[in-house]
Amino acid sequence: MAAATKKYVGQPLKRVEDPRLIKGIATYIDDMTLPGMLHVAFLRSPYAHAKINSINTDAAKALPGVIGVFTGAEVNDKCGVVPCASQMPDLKNPNHKVLAGGRAYFVGHAVAVVVATDRYVARDALDLIEVDYEPLPAVSDPQKALEKNSPLTHPELGSNTAFTWTLANGDIDAAFKQADRVVHQCMIHQRLTPMAIEPRGCIASHHPGEGTMTLWTSTQIPHLIRTLLPGMIGVAENKLRIVAPEVGGGFGSKLNLYAEEALCCHLAMRLGAPVKWIETRRENAMSTIHGRDQIADYEIAVKKDGTLLGIKSRTIADLGSYLQLLTPAIPTLTGLMLGGCYKCKAVRMDVTGVYTNKMATDAYRGAGRPEATYAIERMMDVIADELGLDPIKVRQKNFPKPGEFPFNTPTGLTYDSGNYQGALKKAQQLVGWEKLLKQRDTARKAGKLFGIGISTYVEICALGPSKMMAAGGWEWGCVRIEMSAKVTVITGTTPHGQGQETSFAQIVADRLGVPIEDIVVMRGDTAVAHYGRDTYGSRATAVGGSAIVMCIDKLVAKGKILAAHLLRTKPNKIEFRDGNFFIKGSPKKSVTWKQLAPESYLAKNIPPNFEPGFEASSFFEPSNCTYPFGTHIVAVQIDRETGEVTFVKYTAVDDCGPQINPLLVEGQVQGGIAHSLGQVLFERTVYDENAQLITGEFMDYAMPRAKDIPEYLLGSTVTPSPSNPLGIKGVGEAGTIGATPAIANAVIDALSPLGIRHLDLPLLPEKIWKAIQQAKGSQK
Amino acid sequence: MKFTGVCKIPAPREKVFNAITDPAVLQRCIEGCEKMVKTSEDSYDAHLKIGLAGMKGSYVGKIQLKDVKPPESYTLIMSGKGGPGFVNGAAKISLAEKNGETELHCDADAQVGGLIAAIGSRLIEAAAKRMADEFFKKLAAEVGKL
Amino acid sequence: MIPSSFDYFRPQNLDEAVKFLSQHEDAKVLAGGHSLIPAMKLRLAQPGTVIDISRIGDLSYIREQGDKILIGAMTTHHDIESSALLKEKCPLLPEVAACIGDVQVRNKGTIGGSLVHADPAADWPAPILALDAELEIAGSNGRRAVSASEFFVDMMQTAVQPNEILSEIRIPKTAKSVAYVKSAQKASGFAIAGVAVVIFGNQTRIGVTGVAAKPFRASSVENICADVEPLNDIHASAEFRAHLAQVNARRAVELARSRE
Repeated sequence: MAAATKKYVGQPLKRVEDPRLIKGIATYIDDMTLPGMLHVAFLRSPYAHAKINSINTDAAKALPGVIGVFTGAEVNDKCGVVPCASQMPDLKNPNHKVLAGGRAYFVGHAVAVVVATDRYVARDALDLIEVDYEPLPAVSDPQKALEKNSPLTHPELGSNTAFTWTLANGDIDAAFKQADRVVHQCMIHQRLTPMAIEPRGCIASHHPGEGTMTLWTSTQIPHLIRTLLPGMIGVAENKLRIVAPEVGGGFGSKLNLYAEEALCCHLAMRLGAPVKWIETRRENAMSTIHGRDQIADYEIAVKKDGTLLGIKSRTIADLGSYLQLLTPAIPTLTGLMLGGCYKCKAVRMDVTGVYTNKMATDAYRGAGRPEATYAIERMMDVIADELGLDPIKVRQKNFPKPGEFPFNTPTGLTYDSGNYQGALKKAQQLVGWEKLLKQRDTARKAGKLFGIGISTYVEICALGPSKMMAAGGWEWGCVRIEMSAKVTVITGTTPHGQGQETSFAQIVADRLGVPIEDIVVMRGDTAVAHYGRDTYGSRATAVGGSAIVMCIDKLVAKGKILAAHLLRTKPNKIEFRDGNFFIKGSPKKSVTWKQLAPESYLAKNIPPNFEPGFEASSFFEPSNCTYPFGTHIVAVQIDRETGEVTFVKYTAVDDCGPQINPLLVEGQVQGGIAHSLGQVLFERTVYDENAQLITGEFMDYAMPRAKDIPEYLLGSTVTPSPSNPLGIKGVGEAGTIGATPAIANAVIDALSPLGIRHLDLPLLPEKIWKAIQQAKGSQK
Repeated sequence: MKFTGVCKIPAPREKVFNAITDPAVLQRCIEGCEKMVKTSEDSYDAHLKIGLAGMKGSYVGKIQLKDVKPPESYTLIMSGKGGPGFVNGAAKISLAEKNGETELHCDADAQVGGLIAAIGSRLIEAAAKRMADEFFKKLAAEVGKL
Repeated sequence: MIPSSFDYFRPQNLDEAVKFLSQHEDAKVLAGGHSLIPAMKLRLAQPGTVIDISRIGDLSYIREQGDKILIGAMTTHHDIESSALLKEKCPLLPEVAACIGDVQVRNKGTIGGSLVHADPAADWPAPILALDAELEIAGSNGRRAVSASEFFVDMMQTAVQPNEILSEIRIPKTAKSVAYVKSAQKASGFAIAGVAVVIFGNQTRIGVTGVAAKPFRASSVENICADVEPLNDIHASAEFRAHLAQVNARRAVELARSRE
């Protein structure tokens, strides 16, 4: 199929999604009402760990407007446990039920649910429920949790160790023996709260006559929920319809099947009415999954010229008190990317997953890869510092060359394509590297704390080959040319801000040669998008877009057959370009979709054995993940007296392969930088020593705001991926992965003249100030 | 949250001890304590309305007097739960007689949880100290009345 | 996120507001709502009655009277921030107003509401103390005036009694030698250490907020926190607060001097 003259792909088109979002006329879950709908509110434990001796719901039930009040005793044996897709050989699973049973084990653990005629009554009823709690010792510190006499998060499991996991390749002992030096650093990747602008919510509606259940929910994964929900509520997959309406941000926090969603379905069936639940911000902070939370102890064996010989990591992952869908898998993704974009023959990572009385952790923008990249990029700076080498040269020394791709890593991956040297060079050019170095010199001579940080990163996304994905990693797409020649595109991905309604239309417009205004992209409803593996892991355009391309190819092939028939020639004499089917050599003898489509649907003049209609659907199975990469260069200045960090320069060069819509790419990188800025400088989820959640509102959980975003200079290189026909690598998480270490390294570089070589995240003003004071003290 | 306090009460030790183990006196000294109902030898159910300014929460809880060693010491154990959260505390109170005056030492450990632990985290220490100061002030006045 | 039930009154004028207040024991006054409503939504405050004074028009004004400027209690932070009169004759107030919250908060929040709520980390107390302002309080017995130093009684407690309403703030005109330097808590934007400086001839007056349980006038420039116990929380230790107070005081004094 000859490629159309590119009109849309590559253009920074404004998003089709935006007008409705900006005007406030998009439909989110809380905008929806169903006749007879009831409202749900959850009573949640204020204790991190407590026996529940009794729950008295009499007063709550007596409140006018309350339809029912349920506790674990009434629902737990009627619903399945919250599913965890990730299996480890020695995994201990506490089997999280929809409501607390005899014991609450984290602050925010739902212990009772009220169903009422309106949300106000439901909330008032919560205050009337009396729970007799008997506090138990709470586990808050994951390292202390592993000590012999620690209280247990789950006494029946006998230990706070959830699982152990090891990844090992190459002769790590030999590597360490041969080393000129072993560089050691312990690094903390703090717990974060995703804080999507729209908290969770759902409406469950059961049709008793048809035996069908519809669940509208603010989710990233309607298809995966359709696969997992039967196990929890006993309704078969083919009687389930899951719909994701407009979703106000996910970032991984909605890549899950939550107890509340299943319980709402159960209540809808039990009470014979639709049931609606909308989470408050505080509930979101307490009981929507948290991200990150790893303590990593790294040792890297190096030659004195900076060559990496072996990487060892002992990591403690604080999982929280139970398992959501991918909780144990996240640190294993860290293991896969252990070596970053460097050659290193020997690796070993030992992970201990630990239970504490906190909310469960799970995938959060980057899901394990920001942890890996932060660690290896910090280590490269520490190595450079210890060996007295230039941090850029140390990195370059270990880069694979462009000709060495596909590049096999010791962690068992094959990086599809890359040019780390190219991205680094471009970033240096963009930022004005030599000038920046001089600027640092001048600033330092004037006594300023000025630092430059870089990160050269690679990440794994566009998940992925089905062999490595628990529920399959393919993606499904459907393209239908209607009788009117308008085009309907259906994707099994579930965009919730990523912009595929626009970018897929760009791809289809170019390849089918139809005006972009004639295309609509549908998603998010399992009754419309029959199959799919949804949106996470920066996969939608790479994998979902490829499925769309397969459909287009099928449609064009079919179009040629019908065109040949109408033009009275053979299909192999037909060429297709810019929406025109014409006879080779006689371009005036042509038909367009506008003529073909009605012919195909009215079917009065179709060739023998020709199926009417113009619809194609395809499953795309990727051969590999993709590996976007790039270089971020950051310059900061620190106020010595207040510890406050100001950005002086921010440059990022990211390679996500060919870009369908540069505006979308910029948006993703910009958002990723914001995420990283927050993580490095002020975001953190704080539980106190009694596992009480302190950062439960925006009063205490600091988020980046518009005025915090530095002026940035973005560039890109384009290295296509051989893993899919579009050559696309994906960019949804790359920004977050690349930016965190660059910013952190810049801050540490600013402090390095004081002899400070590492500080853990977040780099709060007080932490920086204290480090400066300590350094001053030790210099006396 | 831990804190210690010392206060001097111009009265002999026995008098002070009787006052601080008298539930009626305790109720008047604990700010916002609306009710104290005896449930057993050394235990009481208590209704408290405590907080800051316009943001007072109602708490229902138990007060226990343990390890009562007249006139030297005892431990006051309190637990209360309400809408805004819960408070658990134990205070070891010991009395020393000095020149006809009593020196009261208070060694307290309190846990706060729920909404108030989060929202109020920066104010909790200051609020607790304030409540403790109020308590001792009121106690000195009560003892003076006896 | 849903308050408990309450009765709602909207008085026509201040006298009616005071009357409603004295008739309902468990009542709270609603001005801009940006302190009261969040507290109600979290059910930390559960007033039986809300008395909404936000539409009483004649409580919002900024006008000159002799060597003073009178500010109605319902004047929004935004109006103070953008007041040409204040920028000219008492520039400290617009400077502080610009540091409060964000645009949406400043459009609704009022100086009176903020002062009476007396959050230990709010911005207004610092300049009010540094300016030695006078505050007028309306009660059932008429109006009475209280000095800034008497106004802040304790943590979140002011001289305004439960049945009174703050009506006016009176501030002196100043020269340009004023400044406000603030270290903000990153999440809420409230002050960890906010220092307001007013230089009056050879007198330097320093008002500090965010550092202690209540705002205070620093008695010594060299040791700002000599007479107070700084607060301690996850955002800043007592030690760091005291340090920032000292740094910000020095910077505010330098800034004020440079503007002379």
